[in-house]
Amino acid sequence: MLQSAKPTRDHLLVYLNGERHEVAGTDAFLTLSDYLRLRLVQVGTKIVCSEGDCGACSVLVGRVEEAPGGGKLVYRAIDSCIAFMYQLDRAHVISVEGLKRNGLLSPVQDAMVKCHGSQCGFCTPGFVMAMTGLLEGDGASTGGGDRRGEALTCDELRAGLTGNLCRCTGYIQIMDAGCSVDPGKTARLSELYPDGPMVEIFDSHAQDDVVVTDDGRTVAVPASLDAALTFKTKHPGCTVVAGATDIGVQRNKGKIDPREVLCLANVGELKGVGHEGGTLTTGAGERWSGVERYVEDLVPQFHDILTVFGSPQIRNMGTIGGNIANASPIADSVPFLFVMGAELEIAGPTGTRRVDINNFYQGYKKFDLRPDELIARVHIPLPTEAQTLKLYKVSRRRDLDISTFTAAVLMELDDAGETIKGVRIAYGGAAPVVLRLPKTEAFLAGKVFGEDVLHEAGHLARTEVTPISDVRGSADFRLQLAENILLRFYHDCAQKMTV
Amino acid sequence: MPTVGQPIPHDSANGHVTGEALYIEDIRPVVDELYVEFVGSPVACGKIVSVDLAQAKKEPGVVGVYTYQDVLGHNLFGPVICDEPFLAESRVDYVGQPIVVIAGKTLEAARRGCRAVKIEVAPEPAVLDIDTAIEKQQFIGPERRIDRGDFDSAWKNAGHKIEGTFESGGQEQFYLESQSAIAYPGEQGQIVVESSTQNPTETQAVLAEVLGLKMHEVVVTCKRMGGGFGGKETQGVIPALMAALVSQKTGRAARIVYTKDDDMKVTGKRHAYKTWYQAGFDSEGRLTAVKMDYYSNGGASADLSTGIMERTLLHADNAYYLPNVKTCGRICKTNLPPNTAFRGFGGPQAVAVIENIMQEVAAHLGKDAFDVRRVNCYGDAPRNTTPYEQEVTSNLLPEIFDKLAETSDYKARLAEVEDFNLTSRTQLRGIAMTAVKFGISFTTKFLNQGNALVSVYTDGTVQVSTGATEMGQGVNTKIRQIVADEFGIGVEKVLVMTTSTEKSINTSPTAASAGTDLNGAAAVHACAQIKQRMADYAAKLFNENNPTHKPSADDIRFEGGHVFDRRSPDHSIPFGEFTNQARMARVDLGARGFYKTPGIDFDREAGRGNPFFYFTTGCAVSEVLIDRFTGDLCVERVDMLMDIGRMINPGIDHGQVIGGFIQGMGWATAECLVYNDAGELLSYSPTTYKIPNITDVPETFNLAFMDNGANAQNIRSSKAVGEPPLLLGLSAWAAAKHAVSCAAGKQSASMKLPATNEEILMCLTRIENTRREADKRQTSTR
Ligand SMILES: Cc1cc2nc3c(=O)[nH]c(=O)nc-3n(C[C@H](O)[C@H](O)[C@H](O)COP(=O)(O)OP(=O)(O)OC[C@H]3O[C@@H](n4cnc5c(N)ncnc54)[C@H](O)[C@@H]3O)c2cc1C
Ligand code: FES
Ligand code: FES
Repeated sequence: MLQSAKPTRDHLLVYLNGERHEVAGTDAFLTLSDYLRLRLVQVGTKIVCSEGDCGACSVLVGRVEEAPGGGKLVYRAIDSCIAFMYQLDRAHVISVEGLKRNGLLSPVQDAMVKCHGSQCGFCTPGFVMAMTGLLEGDGASTGGGDRRGEALTCDELRAGLTGNLCRCTGYIQIMDAGCSVDPGKTARLSELYPDGPMVEIFDSHAQDDVVVTDDGRTVAVPASLDAALTFKTKHPGCTVVAGATDIGVQRNKGKIDPREVLCLANVGELKGVGHEGGTLTTGAGERWSGVERYVEDLVPQFHDILTVFGSPQIRNMGTIGGNIANASPIADSVPFLFVMGAELEIAGPTGTRRVDINNFYQGYKKFDLRPDELIARVHIPLPTEAQTLKLYKVSRRRDLDISTFTAAVLMELDDAGETIKGVRIAYGGAAPVVLRLPKTEAFLAGKVFGEDVLHEAGHLARTEVTPISDVRGSADFRLQLAENILLRFYHDCAQKMTV
Repeated sequence: MPTVGQPIPHDSANGHVTGEALYIEDIRPVVDELYVEFVGSPVACGKIVSVDLAQAKKEPGVVGVYTYQDVLGHNLFGPVICDEPFLAESRVDYVGQPIVVIAGKTLEAARRGCRAVKIEVAPEPAVLDIDTAIEKQQFIGPERRIDRGDFDSAWKNAGHKIEGTFESGGQEQFYLESQSAIAYPGEQGQIVVESSTQNPTETQAVLAEVLGLKMHEVVVTCKRMGGGFGGKETQGVIPALMAALVSQKTGRAARIVYTKDDDMKVTGKRHAYKTWYQAGFDSEGRLTAVKMDYYSNGGASADLSTGIMERTLLHADNAYYLPNVKTCGRICKTNLPPNTAFRGFGGPQAVAVIENIMQEVAAHLGKDAFDVRRVNCYGDAPRNTTPYEQEVTSNLLPEIFDKLAETSDYKARLAEVEDFNLTSRTQLRGIAMTAVKFGISFTTKFLNQGNALVSVYTDGTVQVSTGATEMGQGVNTKIRQIVADEFGIGVEKVLVMTTSTEKSINTSPTAASAGTDLNGAAAVHACAQIKQRMADYAAKLFNENNPTHKPSADDIRFEGGHVFDRRSPDHSIPFGEFTNQARMARVDLGARGFYKTPGIDFDREAGRGNPFFYFTTGCAVSEVLIDRFTGDLCVERVDMLMDIGRMINPGIDHGQVIGGFIQGMGWATAECLVYNDAGELLSYSPTTYKIPNITDVPETFNLAFMDNGANAQNIRSSKAVGEPPLLLGLSAWAAAKHAVSCAAGKQSASMKLPATNEEILMCLTRIENTRREADKRQTSTR
């Protein structure tokens, strides 16, 4: 606990291109990109959007992860424009300035030069960083893991670079560059920046609760849930920050300027993902990339929808708890959590309680969470053998886009595989909150599964939603999607049945 | 070995990949530099009632607060028509139109100052779209026409006819580096501005005009841009003015860097168009009568809209011979930011219309659109003159069509696609080939000139300065190669310097794809002068050393890093030594070169002439896959074949072609500008404005070029490549249209551009509903 005998640290401990930085005062509240560009005048990291949507500002962040033979630093790409310094305590940041070795270009840089991977060059440092991260990783789009010397494939590059926009090249020469890098000749980041000493220092500070203040502003970076809850109880009005992929954007757009911040980045109890007895349990502070990796074989439908959630950079920071608490009607995970009947484990000063997510939201951005509480874990019943789960996301662009419309359908047929025993349907982007469709669900129950029935259900679904027209699409478009998606569900199932 | 033809890396590539290449925002601030921000109009249209600056002036850290009243020169400017205020005076005409400029010691101070400004505007009804502007007869500039033959009687006699309207949306340039500039005070009121601009001369001229200076007192430089695409041809001027005004007033350096949001909200974009068309044709689909009335959404002031509309009229035909044609263009004045140049410059909008007509004609006749395009394609005389009666010479289009149809296996794939559509309940496929014939040259004749300064140093290294600005397109790299080859030295011996109005004067914007053509040729001219002097001297020198040959400048060669007499190549001198000796002998090693494009002339009143030096041509086939339930579109395969002459740098040219295509595909299938009724842009950042992502790139992308060395009149037999491939992105739209018309039973199905998932799904829904109703009617009559 913060007030316990253990002294709190009053500064952040961050390594940057191998160099130790003790960050305190105003600097702790800066975004990483501002810290790099304005404080250190390291201007290789470019800023375009300040909202996580272009990747020009990509850097690699290494954090200690357990590995056989002790902890090591695992590097992942993030958008530095929406990451705050206080989220980076006990992390090693590598920016584009940190890649050259003995004045020579890194293999990725060299390949980008030779393959004409840059035109105007403004997106290039971001691509170089993201690609370097992929070369470190084990094939997951979000990096991480341990790659062992295989060249990058075009598919990996496509999946791994969706967070980086380029307006000039049309990407093909960038992919050529990525494919041409010889991993055998590529030094691991741990060779450029030996892990050992940094891991040792980070580990020795692993239990530190950090509180930094500056001119009436406070940020707490506790190391335990207890300490976090204590701070929250004392500062019920504080802004909770997990990955800051929502909060960072709001801050940069001038919508909020929090004076008191509770940063969950170092709370170990909020991390981790596992499953037991048909239930998947994830810490609220688990990053999407961790969830994505874990559910790949377990719930492939959920995995697929996560591969088009934001970008690798976003999934390397954003958390499931943040997605739930942000309470957006187009949060991509929520329709899935609704139909599965996920339970939120909510921690408060007096203990924990559980809420069915279907009862959690009470209106637009209003939900059942007291000021002294945090979402601690999410328990998700897994689909059974007998159930069919389909998840849909419709957006203007396939990748790195917020949904226009989302849907989750969970259906169970009778043993004969003909009659619908039960179905749960949840839509996002069709009303101010994510909706279940009780009338349509009731209509379908007991019906024989068939095209006409689903067609009719689609008409009914239309009447249960109240979409608006906005920048992501017209109300008519959304109504049509609300209707069509059930037919699409029929065809997706029918196709599978005949296979 | 000559470097022209080699894919050598971009001259800034090392800087790009290391982050060491500096853009305006990256330049270290000088000690007392000021940060500049602005306050724009809160409404799209209205009279300014009051501007209250008192509170802003009091904000700590605010150093200056300026309005139009602080402008010492003229507050009005414009590249063609002088109708655009720098800072709004009595009225505002679009949301975000700059009214107040604020300088702060820090960015935060400047922003606080902005928030403290109170502006009251009496709003008036805003005109936002083309239809309303037409209704109110609000236009910019004169109506332009290009006619040929006798449309009216050809229309009357046509065996088949279609008519309709076609709409294409605007497009944000989305250069990654937003508009930015830094102004430094010079002595005696002079000023130096570093600007992210495609047009240093225009910026210099407007700065002088607005600040009340003479042109020789203003220097504008541009090292590089983080993308331009036309968006920095004129629109870099306002931010440069803001920084310069602050610098002029305070005597301090001043920098402005638009946020991406502000940039997208207040700067102009590609014009949205609406076109009324009529097309008459024979049973083969051969067009006999075509009429098009183009209306563009120009925004609040003229900017480059007139030139853009001119290029639209000049591309009405695209690759197709139109014997009887009537075209007319009008620019609508609306309450949006002044729309401006964007790669293609009105060409894409025209080509979209005629390519749409090709799809419609095909659907009408039940033919395949390829065959319709093929019979209409420019061929031999008399089917080889454009509506403005320029001859289409060394025309490879028919060959390109046929060769690409073969290499892309078009016919077989078409059959597969149409079969697929008959059987699949869940998806649709579409395939289409479209063409481009893009005219190279500025349609404004005087702009077709370039100058270059070449300086050879005594160690044999060379600096080149031209009016070309580098925005990623590789113009500096190409010029570097050209100059290196002129002297027979390695590219590393040549540097292309920051573009500056001090070194290259009275230049044209880097635009119209002509950057390398004009500036490369000017550099060659400068090199030629230096080489002539060098050769004269070398002839004497070699004769002194080796009197067996008569001195002959014509026999002097500059190759392989050496200078020698062709007749005794063994007696060569390394270039770096020779240059030193030449200086000792008082040979002038610097020169200024000049080039003007020959043979072009266009009478815009008559709509006749040769506006173009040559045409860059090509074709592309796109195949798309569409989800019937969501309208989601995926461009799966693209095959492209272009004639871009002999490439100076294949690495760069491939990049131009691919990048251009994908940008065009973005315009045609995805990018959507959404405004609300108040005229505010809602899609003002990459969160809501979606340019193509890496996963939107077709899985299969086959790119090939015709081997055409026949373009000998242009620099190194190359052809301009910047804009033309963008227009081939339309093949993806045409393929979507093909898919949708398959759903309609191969009937025509009207669809706007871009073909977003929403547009496609709403089209499919209309088709489905019509079909259902027809079914119902049938059953009820039975
Ligand atoms: C470029 C970009 C793309 C995106 N794409 C998608 C997308 O495709 N789909 C999608 O659904 N979302 C998307 N998002 C939104 C965002 O990434 C997700 O909502 C993410 O899950 C938020 O998690 P976070 O940890 O970053 O939240 P934060 O920003 O840290 O917090 C979000 C909210 O949750 C609260 N909060 C966080 N953790 C807790 C907790 N444990 N207990 C209580 N309250 C908590 C915070 O106080 C805050 O109000 C995108 C965002 C960006 C910037
Ligand atoms: S600047 Fe665009 S993602 Fe950071
Ligand atoms: S090279 Fe210009 S944006 Fe990528």
